Amino acid sequence: MLEQIVFYSLAALITASALMVVTARNTVHSALFLGLCLAGVGGIFALLGADFLFAGQIMVYVGGIAVLIMFVVMLLGRASDLHLRQMNKQWAAALLVCAASLAGFWKIVRMAGGALATAPVKPTTGPLGLIMMGDYALPFELVSLVLTGALLGAIFFSRSEKSQ
Amino acid sequence: MLEHVYLIPLIPLFASLVILLGFKEDPHSPAPYLGLAAMGWCLLQAVSIFWGVAGGRIVLPYEASINWFPLATEVAGKAFSYQMPIGVLIDGPAAVMLVVVTLVSFLVQLYSLGYMHGDSRFRRYYAFLSFFTASMLGLVVSNNLLVTFMCWELVGVSSYLLIGFWFEKPGPAYASKKAFMTTKLGDCGLYLALLFIFTKVGSFQIDQVREFATRGYFGMGAATAIGFGLLCGCAGKSAQWPLFIWLPDAMEGPTPVSALIHAATMVAAGIYLIAKTYFIFLAAPIAMEAVAWIGLITAFLAASMALVSYDIKRVLAFSTVSQLGFMMCALGAGGYTAGLFHLTTHAFFKGLLFLGAGSVIHAVHTNDMRSMGGLSKKMPITFLTMLAATLAISGVWPFAGYFSKDMILESVYHHSPVMFYLLTAAALMTAFYMFRLISMTFLGPDRDHEKHHHAHESPLVMTVPLMVLGLLSVVAGAALAHDGFVERLLSFPMPQTPGPEFPRALGLGVSALVLCSLALSWFLYGRGDFSIAEAVKKRFSAVFNVLEGRYYFDQLFLGLVAVADGAAKLAFWIDARVIDQTFVDGWGLLMRVFSELSALFDGLFIDRTVDGFGGLSSDLGTGLRALVADGQVQEYLLYAAIAVSLATIFILSR
Amino acid sequence: MNLGSYVALSAALFLIGVFGALTRRNIIGILMAIELMFNAANINLAAFNRYLHPGGIIGQTLALFIISIAAAEVVVGLSLVLAIYRNTDTVYVEDYNLLKG
Repeated sequence: MLEQIVFYSLAALITASALMVVTARNTVHSALFLGLCLAGVGGIFALLGADFLFAGQIMVYVGGIAVLIMFVVMLLGRASDLHLRQMNKQWAAALLVCAASLAGFWKIVRMAGGALATAPVKPTTGPLGLIMMGDYALPFELVSLVLTGALLGAIFFSRSEKSQ
Repeated sequence: MLEHVYLIPLIPLFASLVILLGFKEDPHSPAPYLGLAAMGWCLLQAVSIFWGVAGGRIVLPYEASINWFPLATEVAGKAFSYQMPIGVLIDGPAAVMLVVVTLVSFLVQLYSLGYMHGDSRFRRYYAFLSFFTASMLGLVVSNNLLVTFMCWELVGVSSYLLIGFWFEKPGPAYASKKAFMTTKLGDCGLYLALLFIFTKVGSFQIDQVREFATRGYFGMGAATAIGFGLLCGCAGKSAQWPLFIWLPDAMEGPTPVSALIHAATMVAAGIYLIAKTYFIFLAAPIAMEAVAWIGLITAFLAASMALVSYDIKRVLAFSTVSQLGFMMCALGAGGYTAGLFHLTTHAFFKGLLFLGAGSVIHAVHTNDMRSMGGLSKKMPITFLTMLAATLAISGVWPFAGYFSKDMILESVYHHSPVMFYLLTAAALMTAFYMFRLISMTFLGPDRDHEKHHHAHESPLVMTVPLMVLGLLSVVAGAALAHDGFVERLLSFPMPQTPGPEFPRALGLGVSALVLCSLALSWFLYGRGDFSIAEAVKKRFSAVFNVLEGRYYFDQLFLGLVAVADGAAKLAFWIDARVIDQTFVDGWGLLMRVFSELSALFDGLFIDRTVDGFGGLSSDLGTGLRALVADGQVQEYLLYAAIAVSLATIFILSR
Repeated sequence: MNLGSYVALSAALFLIGVFGALTRRNIIGILMAIELMFNAANINLAAFNRYLHPGGIIGQTLALFIISIAAAEVVVGLSLVLAIYRNTDTVYVEDYNLLKG
């Protein structure tokens, strides 16, 4: 019962803040609601017993990405933006597409529907560490390479012309 | 010692390359000593091999080879991969030839130090000499007919280079061209013969071909065809009738080169190749007979031409042709041993004669014997050695030529007494013209005081080779013939043919006639009084004109060339006027009309259609671009999302 | 709770993300919408891991990888946004018309 209460409130939080992210006229608000939404997803992770994912979600997404986006928004923002429309002309078509897709996805939801969780929740940090250093060592290293590349790329692209 | 025999051709080749690439042209360049050292090494090797063979320490034949390259081929309808070998085959003749070639080449190189001294292309001369010798040595040791042929052609090339060594003068340039092209004419036959052999045997290896031939697998027709092809090549190389025309002109080259060509490297190749492929001739009696007759004709014609020539080198050149005819004749008559024996002894005394003639020319600066005379006092060493060589070539006992020529006459008599008498006549002529040469050059009074005054004996570097060869001219025959050594060394297993035995008395008679011929020669030319000779010449001027005109063989060849030229011109005219203008041009016109029509059709129908499709796609694209491709990324994204949602619905609603 | 609820939540989040990516004029808004879609996928992975493969952690591992990749994507995307902004002086995607044919 408690689980359902928590799930539905989290779902409401996530959906509402996600809607705010895509509709807010002020981009700063969008970014703030993004942080809220991501934190809610973290809560869902916790509810699903994925404790390490929960921690990663909070640290990387909420603490890192959301804050980074906020910085950039503030870096590029202009006062005049607040008076401008933030949604383009194809919103109706987009809404239609989303509705159609929802109709498609509804079948998946129905297919998934009845399954219930059986196993008890166990801590996952230990097994995750083992698998990362074991079977998934190569992808793990590749991801670190990707991150290094992203770091270098970010430095390269964001250098100002004057400093070159 | 035999396992390093492959180095014998390779070292002079290497030396030649080093001289050519590594030294600068300079009259005092040390390059000649390199060539000399290489040749000296080869000489030592060859002599030690020969010594081992003579002492029975080395058992011949020796063969060793490595695989060179594979050759996919098909013989008698059976496809297989033939591993072309490259290697050495040393048998008795090869062992002897190695000594002969290296010795003569070494002495010629030594002699050239004096003779060519101060020439502006001294270095190149030595490089060519080494290359020449290397090619000949390769030919001698090769165990593979293809490699033999390659060396054969290299010999031809290097003779071309050396005969035309003074290429800025028109004479040598012409002579080198003549030599090259005449021998090439013969080589065509040789090449065809080798190809024929390969198509029959499927191998170029001499021992395999020999095995094939001795078992009689060739068949009479094929063996005869191959034999004539080989004979054709050898007639070109060894200056046999009718391809002998190049050799008298080849003396345009430096005299030591002539010595090399006439004694060891060039003309010997033909005789040697006949001996090397003797098994084929044994299988083809007609080709064998042709060898004998061509040799006989050559011996006779060349000897008669030598009788009237006044050019000292030309006399010697005719003499070489004649002597090669002797060898050919002997080989054709079944005298394998005799032919090769004479090849060996002839190499010594003919090399000596040429080097001696070079010494004389060096002293008096002319080739014309009429300007010489009385040089025996001035040049005693040259005189004595050349006298020894003359007696040797004439066949006077106990000089070298006596033994080999005697053996030739014996085997020819055994084959056919008619040939024997003709050959004896040639031998008598040999004695006559050779002593005529000696008489006119060294005996009698001096006819040109100016030249006689300046004449002097050549330096030691030139006379030492003369003395060495002189010694060999005296003793080589007796030494080799002693105790039947030469029969053991230079023998070929062949069936005994019936024929008359050579009566010893006849041999003595020939020797007596030779002495008479020498005496007659001395009587006509040796006393400084040519009046009788001139009278004879006047009396028989028609004969003399034919002889001096060399039987007009040159003119005959030039005529043949002219005929061929005319035929070619006619063919050209037919080609240009008839074939080109009617057939080719007419056909071309027809094609043009047709293609014009085709182009019209193409332009009217096909191109229009193609252009229509192209234009349609282009218009469609332009329209679509105006509609959707306005550069708005989110629009593209919308299209993609529409597609994905449609796909989702389609897949999940099934 | 059953699996369907989580999948439904994930689908809703994803479609909101799609809607945002299709309609936001601001390029940073589009980036944020893309983040929403990533999270929807992660919810799915965690939920399937929990309900269909209890005791296993492969789904969570994949979700972790996605988080890392998303971080890289955001970093590079934002630096590209900065570079584009420097050149064009605008953050509105309809002004980015270099692809116009």
